[in-house]
Amino acid sequence: MRAALLGGALVVLVAGCGVVPGAPAPVPTSVVPPLASPSMAAARSGDGFDDEQRIALRLRAVSCDGLATGSGFAVDAHTLVTARHVVDDATSVQLSTYDGHDALATSVRVAAAADLAVVRTRDALPAASALAADDPEVGDDVTVVGYPLGRALDVTTGHVTAVLDDPLDENTGVVMIADATVEPGSSGSPVLDDEGHVAGVVYAKGRYGSTYFVPVSTLRSMLDDDDAFVPAPGCS
Amino acid sequence: MLSPEESVDGGTPPPPAPAPGRRRAPVAILALLLVAVTAVGGVLVARLHERVGQWQSSSTRWEALATDAGRSAGAARAELARREADLAATERQLSTATARISALADEKARLADDDASRRQLVAYQERVQDAASRVTAALGRCVARQEQLITYLSDARAYAADDLERYRGDVETVCSAATDASDALQRALDAG
Repeated sequence: MRAALLGGALVVLVAGCGVVPGAPAPVPTSVVPPLASPSMAAARSGDGFDDEQRIALRLRAVSCDGLATGSGFAVDAHTLVTARHVVDDATSVQLSTYDGHDALATSVRVAAAADLAVVRTRDALPAASALAADDPEVGDDVTVVGYPLGRALDVTTGHVTAVLDDPLDENTGVVMIADATVEPGSSGSPVLDDEGHVAGVVYAKGRYGSTYFVPVSTLRSMLDDDDAFVPAPGCS
Repeated sequence: MLSPEESVDGGTPPPPAPAPGRRRAPVAILALLLVAVTAVGGVLVARLHERVGQWQSSSTRWEALATDAGRSAGAARAELARREADLAATERQLSTATARISALADEKARLADDDASRRQLVAYQERVQDAASRVTAALGRCVARQEQLITYLSDARAYAADDLERYRGDVETVCSAATDASDALQRALDAG
């Protein structure tokens, strides 16, 4: 009987210990708050300019008849693409970058089958652009970066509105039209897609603010063809 | 129904008297039980008291920690606000600087355009000046030869007719060159 009572007392003791709450968890010595840091809103280079501005180049083509300005864009450190009619009769071509640096052209080669030209430079260019894999489609957003009227660097946006045979007979194959505004001096400007890749090259201004451009597929095929570009005739 | 005893004895026997030790057993059990419960209760009270102390201590430390964390969070928010203000000011300065760089680049490019145009104009003027000099020289030679021819013709009998005719041809050649130079100058002026 006593053993039973003792056992019962132990049972009650154990059950009573179960009623007692457990010990509190250890208290940390400090709390590290989440680190909140402000972030830059836009991806820019160290000098505050966008890549689309850095690839754009201003061309000054000096010919026998006078002087003309145009636009272009770098495809590698020493090569830029522009429109043929900007440089084909030039005796010298001078380049300037978005931040006012000058670059000297060492050779100018023009395409026979499209209003395109390739200029090699002695000085390294600030940034090169990537070519889009495919031509844009009607309705796609595009951005044009260039030097309209030979003035300050300008960025305009629009959409591709049409694909057609070149009404000016400057290019074999199709050309494209966008509703981004350009002006004389914009010829050679890159037409960028929404990823910032080159989707075409401006070569003419149409009516009602339209822009004619050579699609990137034409540019690609010509850059891949060693015989597509010949030395510019210049003038005498 | 009858119980077995009733069926055998025919009466109810008196219940047996409990032994003295057996009567004290419940009391002892109750006493032991009371002691055990008292002991267990004491232990429980002691444990509860200990836990209350622990929880109070923990609560105090948590409260202090929360106070510190609150102060830190407040300071962090203030620092974040200050950095965001700095960032906004820096971005404004950067935007102003990039706009200024673009304006200067444009200004420089236009000055270079003007310089290139002036160089072309100077080159054109030099070409015109050279052409004018050539015209002047050619016309001078033409006039001098013509004057010489007039002199020869005024005393034609003193010279051989073939020589005079050859000299006349030379004069025409020189004057034709002067006319060509004059036409070239005129074309250059028209092109300019």
